[in-house]
Amino acid sequence: MGRTGRPERKTPRRPSPAVRAGVDTGGTFTDVVVWEGGRLSNRKVLSTPRDPSQAIFEGLGDVLGGAPGAFIVHGTTVATNALLQRKGGRVALITTAGFEDVLAIGRQTRRDLYSLRPEDRFELIPAGLRFGVRERTLYTGRVERPVSRTEVRGIIARARKAGARAVAVCLLHSYVNPRNEEVIAQELEKAGMMASVSSRLLPEHREYERTSTTAINATLMPVMDRYLTELDRRLGRSELRIMQSNEGYITSARARLEPIKTALSGPAGGVVGARVLAVAAGIPNVISFDMGGTSTDVSLIEGRIRRTHEARIGDFPIRLPIIDIHSVGAGGGSIAFTDRGGSLRVGPQSAGADPGPACYGLGDLPTVTDANLCLGRLDADFFLGGKMRIYPERSRAAVGALGRRIGKSMLDTALGIVAVANANMEKAIRVISVERGHDPRGFALFPFGGAGGMHAAEMAAHLGLPTIVVPRNAGVLSAFGLLMADSIKDYTRSLMKPDSLVTLPELEKEFRGLEEASRRDMAEDGFADKDLVLERSLDCRYLGQSYEIDVPYRKGRTAARAFLEAFHSRHKALYSYRHDGRPVEIVNLRVKAVAVTPKVPLVKERGSPVMDPRAVVGRQSIVCGRSAHDGLVLDRSRLRAGNSVRGPALVIDPESTIYLPPGHAARVDGYSNLIIRKGAAR
Amino acid sequence: MKSYDPIELELFKNVFIAVSEEMGAVLGRTALSPNIKERKDYSCSLFNDKGETLAQGSYIPVHLGAMPLSVQSAMRSVTFDPGDLVILNDPYRGGTHLPDITCISPVFIGGKRSFFVANRAHHSDVGGMTPGSMPLATELFQEGLIIPPLKLFSRGRMNNGVFDLLLSNVRTPEERRGDLLAQFAANEVGRARLEEAVTRFGVEKVRLYSGLIQDYTEKFLRDTIRAIPDGSYDFEDLLDNDGISARPIKIAVRLTIRGDRAVVDFSASSPQTEGGVNANLAVTSSAVLYVFRSLVEDDIPFNTGLMRPLEIVAPPGSIVNAEFPAACAGGNVETSQRIVDVLLGALVKALPGRIPAASQGTMNNIAFGGYDPWRKRPFAYYETIGGGMGAGPGTAGLSGVHTHMTNSLNTPVEALENYLPLTIRSYGLRKGSGGAGRSRGGDGIVREYEFHVAAALTIMSERRRFAPYGVRGGAPGARGRNILVSKGVRTALGSKVNIKLRAGDVLRVETPGGGGSGKAPKKPKRVGRKTALSSS
Repeated sequence: MGRTGRPERKTPRRPSPAVRAGVDTGGTFTDVVVWEGGRLSNRKVLSTPRDPSQAIFEGLGDVLGGAPGAFIVHGTTVATNALLQRKGGRVALITTAGFEDVLAIGRQTRRDLYSLRPEDRFELIPAGLRFGVRERTLYTGRVERPVSRTEVRGIIARARKAGARAVAVCLLHSYVNPRNEEVIAQELEKAGMMASVSSRLLPEHREYERTSTTAINATLMPVMDRYLTELDRRLGRSELRIMQSNEGYITSARARLEPIKTALSGPAGGVVGARVLAVAAGIPNVISFDMGGTSTDVSLIEGRIRRTHEARIGDFPIRLPIIDIHSVGAGGGSIAFTDRGGSLRVGPQSAGADPGPACYGLGDLPTVTDANLCLGRLDADFFLGGKMRIYPERSRAAVGALGRRIGKSMLDTALGIVAVANANMEKAIRVISVERGHDPRGFALFPFGGAGGMHAAEMAAHLGLPTIVVPRNAGVLSAFGLLMADSIKDYTRSLMKPDSLVTLPELEKEFRGLEEASRRDMAEDGFADKDLVLERSLDCRYLGQSYEIDVPYRKGRTAARAFLEAFHSRHKALYSYRHDGRPVEIVNLRVKAVAVTPKVPLVKERGSPVMDPRAVVGRQSIVCGRSAHDGLVLDRSRLRAGNSVRGPALVIDPESTIYLPPGHAARVDGYSNLIIRKGAAR
Repeated sequence: MKSYDPIELELFKNVFIAVSEEMGAVLGRTALSPNIKERKDYSCSLFNDKGETLAQGSYIPVHLGAMPLSVQSAMRSVTFDPGDLVILNDPYRGGTHLPDITCISPVFIGGKRSFFVANRAHHSDVGGMTPGSMPLATELFQEGLIIPPLKLFSRGRMNNGVFDLLLSNVRTPEERRGDLLAQFAANEVGRARLEEAVTRFGVEKVRLYSGLIQDYTEKFLRDTIRAIPDGSYDFEDLLDNDGISARPIKIAVRLTIRGDRAVVDFSASSPQTEGGVNANLAVTSSAVLYVFRSLVEDDIPFNTGLMRPLEIVAPPGSIVNAEFPAACAGGNVETSQRIVDVLLGALVKALPGRIPAASQGTMNNIAFGGYDPWRKRPFAYYETIGGGMGAGPGTAGLSGVHTHMTNSLNTPVEALENYLPLTIRSYGLRKGSGGAGRSRGGDGIVREYEFHVAAALTIMSERRRFAPYGVRGGAPGARGRNILVSKGVRTALGSKVNIKLRAGDVLRVETPGGGGSGKAPKKPKRVGRKTALSSS
């Protein structure tokens, strides 16, 4: 703290720490975490999808009343929803003539291998809005044919006539030489059109992925512009920042120009929150496990957040650095059914919030939540902190009916539903660990979201994860993460040269160029040089390969070629072999600029083994395997640091329930996390 | 059929599929050649001790029916010990065409050989007459190195002699070494995961469900066949030629449905040919399985259970069951597509409301090589090009995609130009090439290559002469065209060519459109850009 009022800044636009808020707009709830006068508080209000800002202002309430205005980091689903609901703006695309269909052809593959019915395809930009311009840059960067401004003006006029609100520009090889794209960008500017320019957004080779990224950005520009202009206006003196998918925030002005960078805004907050808490707890290697009503998101944190450059949203690839989150269609609301072949399936269809699980009293489809209720792993009296009435007898009826169809008892069916759901989620965890070259057994499971705590112990046991860390206030972890995020910008440049042809001064020069750009941008956002941490890295591959590995690059003569060794050994870890003799190609240079933002301090509590007797709020019969056990039901808010609990037991949070199977023990650490281990504390 | 526990069945389905998918992930990430990593031309499966598939993680349907035959052939030829890795590519002993190399590892549980894991990958060169090993040959020996089932690893130790012999017979040995090691790594992962499953569930359970999962898949197919009206349905179509003579080649099928069984009889098809478009039984089975698997709309594991309700009649010595030593490089990539076309054509008569028109019916195989003076190295390259998908009842066909027996990716233009002495002059949809109809067929692709150096070019393509058919009154898709522009002179090339290109030559490939479905409305709505076919 105490970093305000730096003398060297003329305009102190830097975040003032007086009042800070993280605001996360989710599908059902909008969560707000506020840091004011040394205290953290949180609020949960129903989301207002038609106008998300309504819920935001309700959640923020009197926070906005303060004199200097608040500093707000916002996780928004505006971009994601526009993408998934295909409600982006009408935009045009300008490409090299002869390549107008790059976006339509994609990688010339189909989604479903075995289907006699063509898949439903969404044309991001229809043929009538795709324009070719006669120009060509070669792979060396030499301009074989410059653009004609007259031709460009003609195209812009036609695009405008066709109703385009923004224009995406992606020409071949513009990542080596953006000159032709820049000419078009100037003309667009003169014409007063919003422009999304590939060499500015993503100067990397692979025309389809670059075009897709640039085009999606263009379709989001009108949507984000409308949303943020209004939100900014209503927030008055408060400063608004928008969370990006790359784990850092940007100003709302920049988010209007590069809205695609906010595509995974919400989940990013959760992962940042998980990392902060995991590191504080001294367990920096965790797999975050966010199990909600319809889907489960997992990601791997190795002290730092793992990112990927190969994300997709819906049908379209996005080549920007994004937190590596894998999602499966399994959640508390997932519906159990038997298929035509007689196998018990769970999901991906979800009962959602309406009708919801059978226990909500509106429908009669058995879900994962109903199975948990049948097994006593949820306590009906404390559902959502006791605020919502549910009907366990309806769960038993729904699960029992399914059981009769497959010739099983109600309890066996419930156990089966949970086992199948767990198997689906385990697969997701294997994808982000085993398939990325990590042994999951070296990680702790970090569940949050409404349903994660009920499944964590069994999942961890099957995957061989030794420890589970359940954070306090897991229900607002995303909003908390927003509060703890830094401002991050990524810069990249394509090189595509074998290591032997690249001199260190050349690399240094390229890196300096990227770093200067990052300093300039960060200064515009009000950050001083000394707040910046710049990380250099290189995307490398063996010459001839087509996937790159990102390795750190450090300054200094002796260590400069250390990236080669880092590459070989990472390749070995990931792919089980290394080719020391083979040329290494440097594909991209990257600079990640982190502007460190003042954080809410986490205070460690002293522990005591003595438990408040009021923590025990009931007893419950809990089914595990073939038998039922009598277990305690504990109120988590009454548990103190140093307390420990032995399974079978349920620990109740306002938003979630943690199921502790027999043979498992939990301890509350100094940050109010519940640390669960199998066989411990005996 | 034995009864199964619905919960355990689902758990084992999950395990078997996960194992094959993890194998696929490892192979894709560890291989060296673009054909395997970028274009994903490979498949991974696990098998029980009888060599029956349990589940398959696959990007390429043409591998499907062929894999069990590989494992069964290997079981006949060698005695497996723990730690062995058996490889093969001989089309007449368990393979399909020579570039597809299959690697098979046994999984021993308690000293007993209980399962197999295997994967198959398309190698971009296995020797033979031309770079890329997709030559216009007349006998198998010209197409590349023939590998019978033999041990590349014996009890965990690499058989260096075999490795050396193999690498000495291919044009890009380092890449082959990398790809083969990747195939080894994939099997190791598969074996380890299967062993984990045995530890968790017990060997008896795993063995039991390795059979039950096939019953499960079989049940879906039987239900699907039962919904097809009983009767016999005939259809035939032609391959343009075999690349050696100009004679068209007939593929004819009689599909007989009786209850929940189907007989697929190819007896009226042409005899095997001199040129390399011969399909062996493995390829023909794959094509038949692909069609029946696609009729099942549910999401089911791909395994040997699919074979049980089907009987395939393919006379030895015919184009669909060629005998040693017939050349067969194109059987896998081209003839397999036509087999799908004729079987779907027969099904149109049985299920008129469901079956789409013919898709482009070719993979447009383009292979070239030469010497690059700027980069000072020889180059060899192979790719395939997508085309139009046939229209279904009420749904237009997709444009510019790979259809039926392949789904391999393209190589980005920007990547290609960085590696090869050529410039791509256009890559776009071939407007109007989809067949007209109430629903239009998808459009093909136009791709133009400008070569900056002399190069040897092989094209193996189809549907340049006989167009992809329409259904229910829809028009056929436009035929494909291969055009050479040399010193300003345009020459139409045939379906299959092997020529020398000069520096400055431009190759223009126009791939076929898909057939249309249903009669086009009398008064066509003004569609504007979609005009009548201008070409062929």
